[in-house]
Amino acid sequence: MGQQILNAIFIGSIYALFAVGYTLVFGVLDILNLAHSAVFMLGAAVTYTLVVNHGQSFWLACVLAIVAAAFMGLVIEYICLRPLRRRRAPPIAALISTIGLALIIVAAIEQGRPGTLFAWLWVDGANPVTMPPGTFPNPTWHVAGLTLEGSKLAVVPVSIALMLVLGYVMRFTQVGRGLRAVAENPRAARLMGIDVDRLISLTLVISSALGGLAGILFGVALGGISPYIGRDSVEVRGLAVIVLGGMGSIPGAVLGGYLLGFIEVLAVVLLGSNVRAGVAFAALFLMLVLRPQGLFGAQLRERI
Amino acid sequence: MRRLHLVSWLAAALVVAACGSAGGGGTGSTNSYSGKTIKLGAILSITGAGGVYGPQSRDGMMLAVDQINKAGGVNGAQISLTVSDDASLQTQSAQVAQTMIQADQDLALLGPTLSNSAVAVHPLAESLKTPILAVSTTGINIVPDCKFPNTTPCSYVFRDSLGEETAIPDNIQSYAADAHPTTAVLLVAQDDKFSSDGGLIVQNTVGKYGINLLKTIKFNKAEADLSPYVTQAVQLHPDVIFITSLGGIPANIMTEARKQGWQGQFLGGNGFNTATVSKNAGANGLGARSASAWYLGNTFPSNADFVTAFKAAYNHDPDQFAAQGYAGIKIIADAAKRANLTFSDVAGDRDKLRAAMETVNIQTPLGPFQFTSTHDVKQTVWIIKMDGQGGFTLVHQIAAS
Repeated sequence: MGQQILNAIFIGSIYALFAVGYTLVFGVLDILNLAHSAVFMLGAAVTYTLVVNHGQSFWLACVLAIVAAAFMGLVIEYICLRPLRRRRAPPIAALISTIGLALIIVAAIEQGRPGTLFAWLWVDGANPVTMPPGTFPNPTWHVAGLTLEGSKLAVVPVSIALMLVLGYVMRFTQVGRGLRAVAENPRAARLMGIDVDRLISLTLVISSALGGLAGILFGVALGGISPYIGRDSVEVRGLAVIVLGGMGSIPGAVLGGYLLGFIEVLAVVLLGSNVRAGVAFAALFLMLVLRPQGLFGAQLRERI
Repeated sequence: MRRLHLVSWLAAALVVAACGSAGGGGTGSTNSYSGKTIKLGAILSITGAGGVYGPQSRDGMMLAVDQINKAGGVNGAQISLTVSDDASLQTQSAQVAQTMIQADQDLALLGPTLSNSAVAVHPLAESLKTPILAVSTTGINIVPDCKFPNTTPCSYVFRDSLGEETAIPDNIQSYAADAHPTTAVLLVAQDDKFSSDGGLIVQNTVGKYGINLLKTIKFNKAEADLSPYVTQAVQLHPDVIFITSLGGIPANIMTEARKQGWQGQFLGGNGFNTATVSKNAGANGLGARSASAWYLGNTFPSNADFVTAFKAAYNHDPDQFAAQGYAGIKIIADAAKRANLTFSDVAGDRDKLRAAMETVNIQTPLGPFQFTSTHDVKQTVWIIKMDGQGGFTLVHQIAAS
């Protein structure tokens, strides 16, 4: 059971980090950015490519992958969101536009093979790949029947530290106050002299950087980096996490991430392996029925 | 001068005749083939879960087409192969097949990559009376019961890929004889026909060899993290962990199990048999055994020539899926050569090709190749194990039964 608790904490940290990015955008813009899972995938894919195909050091590759993910945040804002916002399109239009961008990114990566247009970014097509052994320090300890793996252990403090920093920024800094003002009422915020577009861009950059980092941590710890890791591994679960925690709530996303991790793992242990996803989403359903605003949400502001 | 002209004409005629027969022995119908095109369509998973296998099949097929066409074609007819990606989706696979059969009027099809897609595509080809050759599908009821649970045999569906119903029991028998394991756990992806069929075969086989299956652990192939399942398996301390799953999952399971300190034997199915899986598993996969339709190191000429040509064309080693794709084109070319095609009546030509395929008897990279009476492959089975460096080594070979 001890090992399963460690498994739950690890995957819960990944879910939380990913979902914080999701919920940040939702909290500010009232829209779901479904390109977030593609950014998650890009974080892992760019790191792998820089290390294996371009011979860069692992740490530099991580930094560059986070920068690339943050840049994708700007792409999402300038291509998918801002033009629609200018035309006062409904949130569903932005949702569809981000789904479209996600599909384009995944399709571009899966076409990446030697000699193709995207070979500089990815050469393994649909194949899953794993970081070569020795790429990064990954000591493993066996203590009291438990396996403690460095790469997985590191995920937990990194995730928690980043989420605390984000919480601090949102609560106690000028930028955070500006973001909360935009979330509350963009028009009023603009009238108060806040550069709303700049803050929205910043939100997308922070959110995508966190998504990219979650992808890096996931790819490093579990391997199997492919164009589909975002879509298959975290996209729907990320939505479940923010519903559990409360749409737009950062503490809710953190708690929801760990909650989903534990629900999934306990479902495997107590009820059998083949009901894992069913139990997780049954919990989600119950939450929607009993407390639609989630654990930390104040109220549902949009029905999407 | 007139005599010189006559000699020139005779020489030219001899050259033309020689070229015409270079495609593989005339049948007396060479003239009707000359200048014609044999249109084939391949439905492969280039992207999606089956994207680990489809590109290799495609490369093997394209190599065979290139070789045959450069050698003068099939009795002088050139092969035109269209490869379409089904994105590993059953519905897309069926749509592509329908287009190839009805709009493109292809003579025959190859594929699809995944058994999950074959359950939609093969009955369609059967109902439209178009020969289709499966080159990688290994699940249950691919041939002859393509319309299962309807058990009327499908007469247009063939398979050159070694079925799991043969491969998995052979692999278990071989390992049981070598190491006498007594306990096992099965990890199986439940949401995929190929994987769940493999799991069923393992469950039905292990008892015959005195192996107690302690637990069957089912998961979905899109699971974020397989650690909880692996932990469950490892904590039972089995001698063997069976893995029946697709794509990158077997390598992830092996890596996680080794990290958790388990040192037993991995046994698996066709999902192991590509270099991608062996490479991703690395040292964690060392010794993992499976039964394969093909082995890279076989030195008989039809394999050695294939391996050399593939490496020259693509700059890397082929795998089982490339060999089966290559063999698939050679099989259809051999049948087409003997089928007396008219090139004016597609439906009639499809029937003729189907009949000729039943009597194929050629050398391929898979070894000597024939179909059984139920259109399944009849070939040697190669028991291989991962070498820990992205490749495989041969453990045993089991002659065709």
